[in-house]
Amino acid sequence: MRTPVAAFGWEFFHRHRGYVAGLIGYLLILGLIKPLYLGPDATVSFDPPDGFAAFAVVPFTVTFFYLIGVFTFGLTGDLAARQSIYPPRLFTLPIGTAALAGWPMLYGCSVMVALWMAATLLARWPWGVELPWLWPGLLAAVVLAWIQVFTWMPYGLRGIRVIAAVAVLIALDAVVFTAIELEWPEGALIAVLAPQLPVAYACAYAAVARARRGSVPDWSMSRVRPGGSRTLPPFRSIAAAQLWFEWRRHGWTLPALVALVAPFELSVLFISGYGSHAFVAKVFGAVMLTPILMAAFAAAAVSKANPFAREVYGVSPFTAAKPLTTAQIIAAKLRMAAISTVAAWVVVLAFTAIGFMWSGADHVLIEWADRFARRVGTVRAAVPVLLVLAGLITVTWTMLVQGLFIGLTGRQWIVRTIGMITLVVVMMIGPAIEWILDLPDADRWIWDGILFVPIALVVVKMALAVWVAARLVRSRLVSDRVLVTGAAAWAATVLALHIVLVWWVDMSYIPPHLLALIAVLAVPLVRVAAAPIALDWNRHR
Amino acid sequence: MAEPVIDIGNLTRRFGATTALNGVSLSLPRGAVYGLVGANGAGKTTLIKHILGLLQAQSGSVRIFGLDPVAEPVAVLSRIGYLSEENDLPGWMRVGELLRYSRAFYRTWDDRYAEELREAFSLDPSAKIKDLSKGQKSRAGLIAALAYRPELLVLDEPSSGLDPIVRRDILGAVMRTIADEGRTVLFSSHLLDEVEQVADHVTMIRHGNIVMSAPLEDIKRSHSDKSLDEIFVSLVGARE
Repeated sequence: MRTPVAAFGWEFFHRHRGYVAGLIGYLLILGLIKPLYLGPDATVSFDPPDGFAAFAVVPFTVTFFYLIGVFTFGLTGDLAARQSIYPPRLFTLPIGTAALAGWPMLYGCSVMVALWMAATLLARWPWGVELPWLWPGLLAAVVLAWIQVFTWMPYGLRGIRVIAAVAVLIALDAVVFTAIELEWPEGALIAVLAPQLPVAYACAYAAVARARRGSVPDWSMSRVRPGGSRTLPPFRSIAAAQLWFEWRRHGWTLPALVALVAPFELSVLFISGYGSHAFVAKVFGAVMLTPILMAAFAAAAVSKANPFAREVYGVSPFTAAKPLTTAQIIAAKLRMAAISTVAAWVVVLAFTAIGFMWSGADHVLIEWADRFARRVGTVRAAVPVLLVLAGLITVTWTMLVQGLFIGLTGRQWIVRTIGMITLVVVMMIGPAIEWILDLPDADRWIWDGILFVPIALVVVKMALAVWVAARLVRSRLVSDRVLVTGAAAWAATVLALHIVLVWWVDMSYIPPHLLALIAVLAVPLVRVAAAPIALDWNRHR
Repeated sequence: MAEPVIDIGNLTRRFGATTALNGVSLSLPRGAVYGLVGANGAGKTTLIKHILGLLQAQSGSVRIFGLDPVAEPVAVLSRIGYLSEENDLPGWMRVGELLRYSRAFYRTWDDRYAEELREAFSLDPSAKIKDLSKGQKSRAGLIAALAYRPELLVLDEPSSGLDPIVRRDILGAVMRTIADEGRTVLFSSHLLDEVEQVADHVTMIRHGNIVMSAPLEDIKRSHSDKSLDEIFVSLVGARE
């Protein structure tokens, strides 16, 4: 390697050559589907029915975020940290700061634009789908450049990076979506986006220069509270200490994310001209789903056994060498997730109440509630509302903890394989449902076999539960008492849910045993119970 | 004869094609300072990780206080003090928080002793771990490993983070005191002069094999009172 340019290029592409090869292969397959399988005369659409949106949108979205991670050096860094994410090892290279900031930005932006243009080429020929040539790729490049600025900049407070990045990116998105809404021509969009690249480069230069000279501002109050921690009383128990540890590591992430996103969602209620009931319903739905969506992001951190060490999926000796059982570590994580979930819901409900009352949109919700209560009775109206709320809270908690059994294995190949399988399932599920619905006599077939799918899922779930329980017993990770208590609590929750469902749902349409199956599937069991096995496998390699 | 603190029998560990430990057997009685020496990559940390139960024996056996550290981690780890080579203390914790957190896990935690050590190491309890120097981090980790007066103290390359004064005056004295109280210290190092100053018993490991394990005095006597450095070079050099 003769030049720094070549060295930077080699590092980016050599490390991620597997992904690049997979992406090129996927693009080729996607391009060849039409001439070889669908036929040259077939009309290809992205929208349902028979749309191919999932095959393009899902992998391209994943690729976009992957490239963001690669070119910001953010795949392994702590995004909430005050320090720059830019790798310190590069600061000692005998090259200027302009090159340090410039080459990763240039490579990243070029790849973003090139990828979009390749996709556009495939879409136009042979697929025959009209896509704009440049501006989406340029938008991706501008987003990348600004994220590079925010990830490379040192900050005075932990977490500021995320807040600053989200605020600027939302502003950028708002400008672009407004432009799309107003049907600006591609040239106008390019005129808005392109000048941002040199500005972002100048900011990135300043950020890298600051990081290179080790200038990390400190706006925290740490220096004005000497000895503050000495006054705290000792922890009452190991469980309390471990819960504190887990909370301090991950607990605030979900409430903070929700507190960051919910006000932006609610702010659209104040925009004049958007006062329809349907719009209010959309905003309300979006805000109610925010904790679940944010939990999916927060879960990525919770599932990592060791976010502050070189090997993020391995268990840190600091934790592994503590005299506490694997089950105690998992129990602390589950409790922390529960507290974090409740905190996030308190935040979202408070923001929703304030946002709806201040905007005056609360009358829509009150009107719906009144109408619903008059129709089914106050008690029968309250139960589903509480049930839905409990369901949303449970799903939020489940989102936080359901990935523990994957991340805590400590094996990157397992994390990647399951991620890939999930990606394929997400891509396939829409077209698969569409394909089934298009079959002749699909309606009759579905109604005849309506019980088959939940029965099969319940059988799989219970078989896996038995296997997990046997492993837990054999490895003595949890005591028999804990196992029996856990199983009894799970069964009681399922029974309670079933009773409520039978009481509320109109039984003339749905048989009670189907509701029982739904209750069995709805209450988390296997993935949560498997977490100690995963961590034990990681802790004692 | 009293049960050995560490009893390892024919332990073998492979990572892919690399054999990190090759049929290692080791039995360390109570009440002495044991130095584990070897070049980088010799297998010292792998051996220590087996002692802590962080690695599971692929073949052979590991018994600490007569217990399997993988099957009974709480019973074993509550009696071991461990300072990791990796310096992996959580950066977000303050020194005071680290001690408060660590205290919860050990019934024998001695607040007064922890405070004495903190003062001896000149650590501000309100300082964040991430703001400490490498040596200060090692000192913080050392307090957390010592303050409950563990029966077995395991130090993985402690010298790499500590400055010479702390190493000589404090760490050496601490190790000596522990051994005099009938407890046991196992420390790994590649600084042979330091091992020579503190250890009662030396185990040399090379390419996953124990090439020598004996009381220091016996080793020196059998090698005409040469320094440990010279003995190590002669042993390793002869086999390269």
